Amino acid sequence: MGHFDRTLEFIDQLQHANTPALVCEKLLGITSEFGLTALMAGTVPQPGTPRGQQKDHVLLCEWPVEWLERYVSRNYVDHDPVVSHMKQLQAPFQWREAAQGIRVDKSSGEVMGDAGEFKLRDGLAFPLITLDGQIVMVSLGGEAVELSGAEFGLVSLVSTYAIGRAMQLHTMANKTIDHIELTPRERECMQWAAVGKSEWEISQILGISEHTSEKHLLNAKSKLGAVNRVQAVAEAIRRGYIS
Amino acid sequence: MLFSLNTQELMERPDLWEAVHRLRYKIFVEEMGWTDLKRPDGLEIDQFDHDEAVHQLVIRNGELAGYQRMLPTTRAHLLTDVLADLYEGTPPSGPNVWELTRYAVAPGFRDGKRGVSTVGTELIAGFVEWGLKRNVNQVIIEFEPMWVLRALQLHFLATPLGYQRTYGNQQVVATLLTFNDHTLDVVRSRRNHFAPVLAWGYPDMLGMRRAS
Repeated sequence: MGHFDRTLEFIDQLQHANTPALVCEKLLGITSEFGLTALMAGTVPQPGTPRGQQKDHVLLCEWPVEWLERYVSRNYVDHDPVVSHMKQLQAPFQWREAAQGIRVDKSSGEVMGDAGEFKLRDGLAFPLITLDGQIVMVSLGGEAVELSGAEFGLVSLVSTYAIGRAMQLHTMANKTIDHIELTPRERECMQWAAVGKSEWEISQILGISEHTSEKHLLNAKSKLGAVNRVQAVAEAIRRGYIS
Repeated sequence: MLFSLNTQELMERPDLWEAVHRLRYKIFVEEMGWTDLKRPDGLEIDQFDHDEAVHQLVIRNGELAGYQRMLPTTRAHLLTDVLADLYEGTPPSGPNVWELTRYAVAPGFRDGKRGVSTVGTELIAGFVEWGLKRNVNQVIIEFEPMWVLRALQLHFLATPLGYQRTYGNQQVVATLLTFNDHTLDVVRSRRNHFAPVLAWGYPDMLGMRRAS
């Protein structure tokens, strides 16, 4: 089957993907052939957006959790050459171009070097603009990325369809809770999940059953409106519930 | 309001006809740099301004604020004749499929900084209304891949017709958009404007602002 037929088949399957997690899975199924195994996409709140409304701006997330945590806690977003490149350009580009194009300050080098540690050596990224002018940043990464010019176009196009699907799901389920209360136990479990502990490990640390730790994590995930644990941890960090 | 006129009807109103071709020149030749269409008279006209073309005009305050041209796919159109490298296989055609070309919002009416202006969304609401009335449910558009996201946000069913290509410094992908009543509802609620935008007859003479 040619590339184009595969693209059509993928877009058709997307119509039936009913959760962001499924959309992620379908998209990575296609992009992993080119070495792109991790994905992050979300809207960037416009300047002046109140913190309370900056919630749930993550649309799709399949990203190494430790990397996400380090990224947020060290405020890498301000030094990330990929992010600054994305702000300037409208078109898709490869991470390595961003790293070369920009006068790499010490911190930028650190960001890219650190990303490599998490098997994110290269990738591609591009901004999209929604109807109301919000910017969606899309980034796909992996350890060994090999893309020809045509494949590059294909990946960015299928990603756009995936983001579009995620946004449809997002509007359909737009009953987001404004105020979230995590219980102390839920918070503790999230804190341990954020440093990579499994449910069993958390249960041993806190002296509770594995089932109970699982339940706390599930509750926290659903309260945070997250589709998986990685997003839940990201949300919890961003909202300041854990550090 | 959006006025939908065929080429004959447009030509009966020289003020509108000139405004349309002048706006097209301004946007597609001067802004987008489509130099093949350059002409000394500053009017952009091509072989597809034939008698079956439908011109859709958004008029605001006695000025031409937005424009798009609908072409039937039952005869030669842009995708088949000019942009043939944008499709794979056989492109869709038939009485229910039209091609949307020359989508343009006049510079003074681009109120959204990055987003789509109200004139821009009126053009979208306009072609959907127009289509649903005459059993047209699909349009072919050659646009920047960026627009795929917006089309999906408006609940169009989008299907690419081929690979995206680079023309000059622009990325273009031919896309088939399928729509129904639900799409119209979403477009209207996005605009927060629920009344039909499609007007009957002709607009007033351009430059004549209605007394308010």
